[in-house]
Amino acid sequence: MGIRVTLLVCAAALVTGHAAHAHHSFAAIYDGEKAVTMSGTVTRVEWTNPHIHFSIDVTGEDGTVTQWRFEGYPPNMLVRQGWQRDVTLKRGDTVTVFGWLARVEPQLGFARWVTLADGRKLAAGPPAGTGGR
Amino acid sequence: MRSSIRTWSSIAAVALVGVCWSFFLGAQPASAPPEVSPIPRTADGKPNLSGIWIANGALMLYAGEDAAAAARAADAAIGRAPNPPAEPPPYRPEAEAKRQEYLARLGIDDPMARCLLTGVPRIQFRPLPFEIIQLPDRIVILYEIHHAFRIIPTDGRGHPDDMEPTYLGDSVAHWEGDTLVVDVTGFNTGTWLQGVGTIHSEQLRVTERYTRDTFDTIRYAVTMEDPAVFTKPWTLYETFRLRANERIREYECIESNEDLLRFEKLIEESAPFIAP
Repeated sequence: MGIRVTLLVCAAALVTGHAAHAHHSFAAIYDGEKAVTMSGTVTRVEWTNPHIHFSIDVTGEDGTVTQWRFEGYPPNMLVRQGWQRDVTLKRGDTVTVFGWLARVEPQLGFARWVTLADGRKLAAGPPAGTGGR
Repeated sequence: MRSSIRTWSSIAAVALVGVCWSFFLGAQPASAPPEVSPIPRTADGKPNLSGIWIANGALMLYAGEDAAAAARAADAAIGRAPNPPAEPPPYRPEAEAKRQEYLARLGIDDPMARCLLTGVPRIQFRPLPFEIIQLPDRIVILYEIHHAFRIIPTDGRGHPDDMEPTYLGDSVAHWEGDTLVVDVTGFNTGTWLQGVGTIHSEQLRVTERYTRDTFDTIRYAVTMEDPAVFTKPWTLYETFRLRANERIREYECIESNEDLLRFEKLIEESAPFIAP
């Protein structure tokens, strides 16, 4: 697809080591062994419960633009870590996202880190296999 | 050292003068001396559990790694012993087989993922805070998750005679020294205890112990008894951290819960998951 996507292998312990706080959907929806890092432009932020979602347009080396959607923490957990709605992450921002791919749904991931254009690296979601609700 | 002795001698002398002066006036001291205990207490002398709390194990998720590191440093500074490690649930073979089945399905059956009330004790471990309001005759716990609440009488009454099985059960409490002991029963089977597939029956009885051991912490021990599924009681330990300057916020779980559709689709398609 020409999209600059780097797939990494994560330790299985990340998935199984936090069973007591297992995310309600992480293991079912996402694959903790398929880590991904990609950069793009924010096109939409869904600041909703139980978890936020945001979308970014990623431009591939051949110029193809693909929209990816990421899930993250609940808004209530983000604000306690310094996020502000419509301020911290907003349409038009250039970001780099680290997260994990969905097992089935295409162009869907779970975000762990979001790095903003000014270099700030913010926790956007829990480590693979841990809580979030 | 000599300076220290001199200081304490001075304090003792001042205190003695104060006591004698009160005696001389024929009056009781206007107020009790300041409470030296590091934990706050209510007028009846019980430890005051009031405050907004978060489970230690969820602190990193809820407030970030810096907050978790600060908590660890605070524990180390006072030599606070860690909680005993969690043991796996002591399930009977048939119940354990059921749990393994749920684990193999990667949690898609989780009632919490459907925004249903999370039962006791699982609700105590969530990465969203809860507020304890301690009144003379009851303790109220307000949970950010699910807008849930528990009203826990401490006036000596027992469980009501007309209990219907519920998600959070019915709670009554009493004090054993400085520990609040909460007896919870009357559960339905719609909740998991703590972790994927931790099923139980309506015979479940939960005993919670809350001990405010420092100003900033409550030690929590919870024992689950259910002869229908367990071979012996199951006890878990946790620390609740005080969250000063915090407030309980609204959390409407069902607002945009895409998992409902995702899970139903996966269940319908019987997606070939691999056990974790």
